[in-house]
Amino acid sequence: MARVKFLCDADRCIECNACVTACKNEHEVPWGINRRRVVTINDGKPGERSVSMACMHCTDAPCAAVCPVSCFYTTADAVVLHSKDLCIGCGYCFYACPFGAPQYPKVGNFGSRGKMDKCTYCAGGPEEDFSTVEFEKYGRNRLAEGKLPLCAEMCSTKSLLAGDGEMIATIYKERVMKRGYGSGAWGWKTAYKETVAI
Amino acid sequence: MTKTNEKTEAAMDRRAFFRAGSGAAVVAATVVATGAEPVMAAETDSERKKARYQETEHVKTFYRVNRY
Repeated sequence: MARVKFLCDADRCIECNACVTACKNEHEVPWGINRRRVVTINDGKPGERSVSMACMHCTDAPCAAVCPVSCFYTTADAVVLHSKDLCIGCGYCFYACPFGAPQYPKVGNFGSRGKMDKCTYCAGGPEEDFSTVEFEKYGRNRLAEGKLPLCAEMCSTKSLLAGDGEMIATIYKERVMKRGYGSGAWGWKTAYKETVAI
Repeated sequence: MTKTNEKTEAAMDRRAFFRAGSGAAVVAATVVATGAEPVMAAETDSERKKARYQETEHVKTFYRVNRY
């Protein structure tokens, strides 16, 4: 059984933010929420690095461990999803997540957060596949359509890889072997407890 | 006297009309409420956890073009 993962090749990311825009457009993500964003380290200095970041769909997801209402679940292909019907917007998952993935619409007054929203790996949610309710709450279900997350498919420099973990690790290894260096599969040790050994 | 009786009957008719009307309105409201929001059954536990990833031609093309 394939375990799907994200891998950002930081040597290729040019901080174009196409992944962010593609995600927002594909899922009609409301104003103020970014399911994916690009983080740049040492911006404008030599050795600048950009990493496209969203939910990494961790193997042992810390968000699920701290959720008081157990709204998270992991699918058979290792996608971490959540139910917005169960979420109470407590914000614990935001503090637990090492990647800052959970987002809140801040719909109410007095600091109330609203239902948590995060990257679904373009896999919808607990509602019926391809239903209007699923689209409105979680966005499009591209995985069920036989496609991959749009952020990765749109990446102009092919920096962001998505799909079967074994396959994308192999692709990344080939790249690193060819160019002779690599900045490491950023976040893999944190999310999946493994590194791409080169 | 007869006039008063006629008035009473007319009043009764009006009440009966509104009573019937309100009943119909309740029925209509029920139809609208159930019709406007079709209840989508959420998936069962096994359905929502099933694997959706498929290695289609689309996915294979993605892997192929990412190799170079």
